[in-house]
Amino acid sequence: MIIDWYTIIFQIINFLILVFLLRRFLYGPIISAMDDREQIIIQREEDAAAKKREAEKDSQAYIEKKEELEEKKEEILEEARTEAGKEKQEMLEEARRETGETRKRWEEAFEREKESFIAELRRRIGLQACSIARHCLEDLADSRLEELTWEVFLDKIGSMPAEERSSLQEAFASDGYKGVLKTTFEPSEEKLEGLKKALRDLAPDSDDEPDLSLKTDEGLVCGLELDTGGYRVAWSIDSYLEGVEERVLKELEEEAPSAQDGEVAEGGQTES
Amino acid sequence: MTINPDEIIFFQWNWFVINSTIFFTWLVMFLLTFGSWLITRNLTSKGPLSRWQNLLEVLITGIKGQIREVSRQEPGPYLPFIGTLFIYIAFSNILGIVPGFTPPTGSLSTTAALAISVFVAVPVFGIARQGILNYLQQYLQPTFFMLPFNIIGELSRTLALAVRLYGNIMSGTIIVAILLTITPLIFPVVMQALGLLTGLIQAYIFAILAMVYIASASQAHEEIQKKGEK
Repeated sequence: MIIDWYTIIFQIINFLILVFLLRRFLYGPIISAMDDREQIIIQREEDAAAKKREAEKDSQAYIEKKEELEEKKEEILEEARTEAGKEKQEMLEEARRETGETRKRWEEAFEREKESFIAELRRRIGLQACSIARHCLEDLADSRLEELTWEVFLDKIGSMPAEERSSLQEAFASDGYKGVLKTTFEPSEEKLEGLKKALRDLAPDSDDEPDLSLKTDEGLVCGLELDTGGYRVAWSIDSYLEGVEERVLKELEEEAPSAQDGEVAEGGQTES
Repeated sequence: MTINPDEIIFFQWNWFVINSTIFFTWLVMFLLTFGSWLITRNLTSKGPLSRWQNLLEVLITGIKGQIREVSRQEPGPYLPFIGTLFIYIAFSNILGIVPGFTPPTGSLSTTAALAISVFVAVPVFGIARQGILNYLQQYLQPTFFMLPFNIIGELSRTLALAVRLYGNIMSGTIIVAILLTITPLIFPVVMQALGLLTGLIQAYIFAILAMVYIASASQAHEEIQKKGEK
């Protein structure tokens, strides 16, 4: 008999025992180990996903922060640029103003200097011109000129206006008809007489003889001077020269400002 | 030459007999259990796996995958039964290459025992899955008159299962024996190699057929639609 029931039952029991043993020693542990590992892997994946999410969040936050900073940076830069520009403008203004002031002060000082120099120069020129004229006249003056001077002097007394004539008369009378005559050269008797006659003619109804004392003065350039009772009648080139000198200086001063104005205008243009 | 390993008696005490089939079954049982214990006593869930653990995991995962494909159900409850069928038959057949080892699967008693186990397991799993009434109703499908045919079909497929395995393994052993007498060199080696292949294929076929029978008895297809294939 091929089929042995004894062995079959034995084998069934053996098989069931083997099922139990393998379940205990093989399937159970292996499957639980695999499940554990699966669990661990799932856990890890979840952790990784969580970390990734977190990282993405962080990264997003960083990006946002960076953008914000970038924006802020731009703003700050813009502000700084504006500030700097303003500052620069102010400083430039300040510098310009200071330069302008300094320049103005300097120009004023220069102007003053120039004016004083020009004034001085003018004065010198005038004086020099007059001195040259005086010198020439001094060289030319001699007794012949003196004679001509006398004639002019006498003419002057003779042709005095009425008012002056009376005031000279009064002054002459108050001093007891005394007077001092200043001349460059000693006059002749004839000329003195002529003068006395002219003086007498001032007051025809008076008997008193005019008493004149003589005084020579080299400084009177070719002139005569009669001093009596605080009144003085004089004629000399010197007095003319003084007048000329005065006029020359005045003339120069009047001319100067127009020239200065032109210079200042030019200076103003260069400033801007 | 003995065709039936049951007739090789190793030990006998009154009615208690240890024949070759029982002895080598015990040997296989011991090797499998001890090997499993050796490997699984220090399993690890983290880090690199030992190659033995890796081997077992591949084996178990493969069996689970096959069960899932055939039954279209979660393999959990069927794994110990189907897995043990496969591992036991495959290991016995592989060890058949060792000189002096007589594969217990070459005994019709063993294959019949396994077939009877499947025969019993089919209703057990079916009832456990869908209740006794639902299970018994299957025998009345499509009509009441089909009952005898259903019962005959149940019995015949058990018989076919037993004889198929026995025939294949026994034939392999017998062919090698016959060839050894005709061409003692080289050619038997080729046949041995072929025997290894047929042995594994038989183990696979046996386990898969058992699974098909069990699955057909516990039709719970709606579960598949819910879970889908993993």
